[in-house]
Amino acid sequence: MKKLKETENIIVLGIFLGICGAIAALVLAYFADLTREPIKKMKMQEVNNALKEVLPAFDNSPGNTTFKKDGVTFYGAKKNGKLVAVAAAGDTMKGYSGKIVAMVGLELNGKIRTIAVVDGKKLSAVLITEQKETPGLGTVVCGRNRQKTIVSIFEKPGKDANLPPGNMILDQFAGKKAGKTPWQVTKTGGKFDYMTGATISSKAVTGVVYKIARTFVVNRKEIIKELSKAEK
Amino acid sequence: MSLIKDFTKGIWKENPVLVMLLGMCPTLAVTNNAENGLSMGVATTCVLLGCNIVISMVRNIVPKKIRIPVYIVVIATFVTVVELLMAAYAPPAINKSLGIFIPLIVVNCIVLGRAEAFASKTGVMRSIMDALGMGLGFALALTALGGAREFLATGSLFQIKIIIPWTVDFMLWTSAPGAFIILGCFLAGMNKLNMRKAVKRGEVYIPPQGLDCRHCRLCDIDTTGEEIE
Repeated sequence: MKKLKETENIIVLGIFLGICGAIAALVLAYFADLTREPIKKMKMQEVNNALKEVLPAFDNSPGNTTFKKDGVTFYGAKKNGKLVAVAAAGDTMKGYSGKIVAMVGLELNGKIRTIAVVDGKKLSAVLITEQKETPGLGTVVCGRNRQKTIVSIFEKPGKDANLPPGNMILDQFAGKKAGKTPWQVTKTGGKFDYMTGATISSKAVTGVVYKIARTFVVNRKEIIKELSKAEK
Repeated sequence: MSLIKDFTKGIWKENPVLVMLLGMCPTLAVTNNAENGLSMGVATTCVLLGCNIVISMVRNIVPKKIRIPVYIVVIATFVTVVELLMAAYAPPAINKSLGIFIPLIVVNCIVLGRAEAFASKTGVMRSIMDALGMGLGFALALTALGGAREFLATGSLFQIKIIIPWTVDFMLWTSAPGAFIILGCFLAGMNKLNMRKAVKRGEVYIPPQGLDCRHCRLCDIDTTGEEIE
């Protein structure tokens, strides 16, 4: 043993390092195999959580009922075998720091879903699932964060507890149908409000929601036909 | 007795962040809230524990010439295992915010430092205690830093709002400059405390090398660029 520790024989050293690498590879292969399924499940769960928020009650698994068209992924929600609503996920690279991914819930007629009306304000089925915007500015445009407080964790959840919190920018899209002219913020002559200090983020969000909604309106028949098929 | 000492020295006397100033990259980058700090600390502790055990076990057969590559292979293996396990079982929010910093534990000086300075010279039991102590010290320092930053920025701790009327976030503390300011305050506070303790005992306080102004020659350079002897 002493000999091995002091050895300078390059072949012995090489073999030793090789054995170390082989053992490491075996350990890694074992763990990669062990965690493959849970990682897949975790990723699916993330999509499913977002789908649950933007879609009405369904009894199929929309995560497996998908159809891709023009870079937008459509998920079909069915009840008793009939398509009731469609969720769509798409992305844009026009955010202040790159990619913004949105998930939008759509009625079958192409209107963006209204989840609920709280205090006279409509809650739209628009969620931003991925973004890297500036904290405190761009994230306000994108965020629907449930805020826990020291009081609320001890209270019983009310009836609105399952609804996502409102967001001034995202809720503007409730009930809108994407027409021929692209949606724009008021600054560039459109009719949607934007956040001061986060104009680029607001524009990007408006743009990506329009893109998703428009893709559905244009290819409506094809998408509904594809999603109505029996689940794979 | 010495086992307890091996454990406790990592928490205060040789705290990896606040005294040895090791692992500054995760310290500054991920501590924007207490939750992230804690999960980073726990992940690093797991890696540290695994590495210290394995390295102290093989310390008598690893050839001296290639000990560093062998340690790196061991560390990288454990880091990848932790990364896979986190991707599979940790909440997605934590995974997303720690992101690249989990694989970067491989190059964290604390892990290689403990392997080279401690585990390669001592037995398994003592190495385990050392890893647990160092890991706990690292996790505590990161959680404290993250907690301070989160509280100053949003008035909440572990994502739970403590001061309810606080609605506008003060983003300085969760961004990079805030990290440096808070860490500086922590180091100054640590030094002050140790200094007071030493004075009370009637000793001369010698700050750790990394924090000691007297060892730094940066200010000794005059305008001509020559060093003053």
